[in-house]
Amino acid sequence: MAEAADAATLREATDAFRSPPKRGDRRLARRKRMAAYAMLTPGALYLAFSFIIPLILIVFLSLKSGGLLSGGYSLTWEFGNYARLLDQYWDIYLRSLLFSGTATAICILLAYPLAYYIAFYGGRWKSTLFLLILVPFFVSYVIRTVQWRFILGDSGLIFGPLKDIGVLPADFHVLQTPYAVIAGLAYNFIPFTALPLYVSLERIDRRLVEAAKDLYASKAQAFRKVVLPLSFPGVFAAVVLTFVPATGDYVNSQQLGSPSTFMIGQVIQQKFLGAADQPAAATLSVVLMVGMLLVALAYARALGTEDSTLAAAA
Amino acid sequence: MTEQRMPGFDQAFARGMTSRRMSRRNLMKLGGATVGTLSLAQILAACGEGTSSVPGGDTSAPGATMPDYGAEPGPTINFANWPLYIDQAKDASGTKYNPTLDQFKEETGITVNYNDEINDNAEFVSEILPQLQAGQNIERDIIVVTNGQWLTALQKNGYVYELDAARRPNFDANAADWARDPFFDPGNKYGMCWQSGLTGIGYNTDLVLAPITKAADLMDSTKCPPNSVGVLKGDAPDFAMITLGIDPKVSTPEQWAEAAAWLTTLRDSETFRTAYTQDYVDDLNAGNLSATMGWSGDILYYAIWEGYNYEFVLPEDGALLWIDSMLIPVNATNPAGAYALMDYYYRPEVAQTVTEWVLYMSPVPAVQALIAQHGEDADDDLLRATAENPLLWPDEAILDQTSLGVNLQTDEEIAEFSSIFDPIWEG
Repeated sequence: MAEAADAATLREATDAFRSPPKRGDRRLARRKRMAAYAMLTPGALYLAFSFIIPLILIVFLSLKSGGLLSGGYSLTWEFGNYARLLDQYWDIYLRSLLFSGTATAICILLAYPLAYYIAFYGGRWKSTLFLLILVPFFVSYVIRTVQWRFILGDSGLIFGPLKDIGVLPADFHVLQTPYAVIAGLAYNFIPFTALPLYVSLERIDRRLVEAAKDLYASKAQAFRKVVLPLSFPGVFAAVVLTFVPATGDYVNSQQLGSPSTFMIGQVIQQKFLGAADQPAAATLSVVLMVGMLLVALAYARALGTEDSTLAAAA
Repeated sequence: MTEQRMPGFDQAFARGMTSRRMSRRNLMKLGGATVGTLSLAQILAACGEGTSSVPGGDTSAPGATMPDYGAEPGPTINFANWPLYIDQAKDASGTKYNPTLDQFKEETGITVNYNDEINDNAEFVSEILPQLQAGQNIERDIIVVTNGQWLTALQKNGYVYELDAARRPNFDANAADWARDPFFDPGNKYGMCWQSGLTGIGYNTDLVLAPITKAADLMDSTKCPPNSVGVLKGDAPDFAMITLGIDPKVSTPEQWAEAAAWLTTLRDSETFRTAYTQDYVDDLNAGNLSATMGWSGDILYYAIWEGYNYEFVLPEDGALLWIDSMLIPVNATNPAGAYALMDYYYRPEVAQTVTEWVLYMSPVPAVQALIAQHGEDADDDLLRATAENPLLWPDEAILDQTSLGVNLQTDEEIAEFSSIFDPIWEG
């Protein structure tokens, strides 16, 4: 009796799964699907208007020819723009990659221990400590960079006193050298490095480290074999988020550099607003964008996990 | 003390040169930050336009036309100018106003919307070009642009209206010789000078090893310490040509190459520090520069008003003169009113009010006597000194020492010019 009742309940329960959804259910499912579209649409429209359309326009713009004094530029499918400008500026692209690569390495070296410490030992102060890293970045980017000119000045806050006490020679200077530009880049982009590193370190399951130690791993081994590999997605995201914008940056070199530190972002800015040569600016931008995309893809491939690609996308 | 070291300069003069020059060249030192916001609109506009003219070649003003200046002027004029470049006063309640514009309104009933929005020729013209190319009204009736390729671009493309030479009695009666018929705008066909000024060398007397008198001193390590000389990128080509005794106005590509070689030597000399688009003053004030190409106003402002030990010199080899012209963009709403206002500023007593405030080179020489008289009447030493300053009222000797900048005429010339000079500052 009791068994029969159980069987009946069971059948009822399984039937519920097997039977086609009732009308109301279908409507619900459709509504859920519509809700998903409704939530995606504003973002998609926004991206289409603010990103995809301008991107297409920039590609068209890069294929124009003409000039300031002859009535402007018209679309002539001038693919020669690419060869001409690449030939002219390839060394500046390389310099930009070198500067931003160095700055990214510095950022990782500085931000990793910082993020590690906050994530593992920050305790209840975690959020506060992390916020402290971000506080300077509430100030405008350009203003911060301009301030560096005073800090790094030949007789400024740092070098002035050091020169006075004879530690540095009187003609020592950092401003308007590559060092100043790379240091500026590293300073300005470090939050983009620290944030993904912190997120990936923070979500590592502490029990895995304990397990490693239970298996007689030393602290260093536990870090190397457990923490470090698990934080790779964060490192990947940090490198991409730092390296890509730093390569196209023009503010640091403009404010802290000299002709010998000229970066590609400056060339683009100069072409666009200094020479009104929009096709050249667009061409250089497309090259930069495609180049960075290729670099990022190659990097994703080399580092290779699905997770890291996801992390980079996140 | 400062005045003894600076014969020919005085505070009133400094105040004016400076107040405007400083702002107009430096206020926008952070202008780069706005690039991102501008670009999309510009690209959209640039892509929407269909240009029909033949690329390259010397085309003379295709669609340049003259509006009906005799028509009844409209009720408002939109006037785009550089910051701190017109007379200002405060009324009893502390509200700022422009006396000469108010007087114009009283006489004509026309309201002038004065907007000090221009901080850089390249930037401003780049901003309005897409709209002009698309044949749109840029919502400005008067714009003020310095002589050079940006002015040429506006003229050649027919983006500014022709002026009617028969309808500017005050200009005809009062304009200085140098403001009439300038080589870059024969017959003042498109523009009339608003004000004018000079580019020379500024130096820090504490840091240079010997006084600077000529351009070559900038690369002389017995005069300037290592890593301490600044250059203004925009003015550098003309500056170098003037130094080499070349007249930029009629210069050839061979001479540009000579000037580029001179600038390259300067760049590679141990005295050189860096090249600026405009914000060199910060480095000068931070003690990072001993000497730099500079705008008189910037240097004198800090020398006299801020007490820095700076000197400003017109180099022996010569200095660069620039002229800012008032222009009427095509499709402007109120060209008749705009033209009337432009001519109004050539009335000596109106020009006097402007000059007493901005203290720049006025295109109306009669202003000098009026300011001298005003100085006597008001027993004001600053006004007297203003009236006597040789750089405000340049005589033949000073004008002979100055040259206007190069005037590129075709896209090919611009391309060649920039291919010669740009790489110097791109390392």
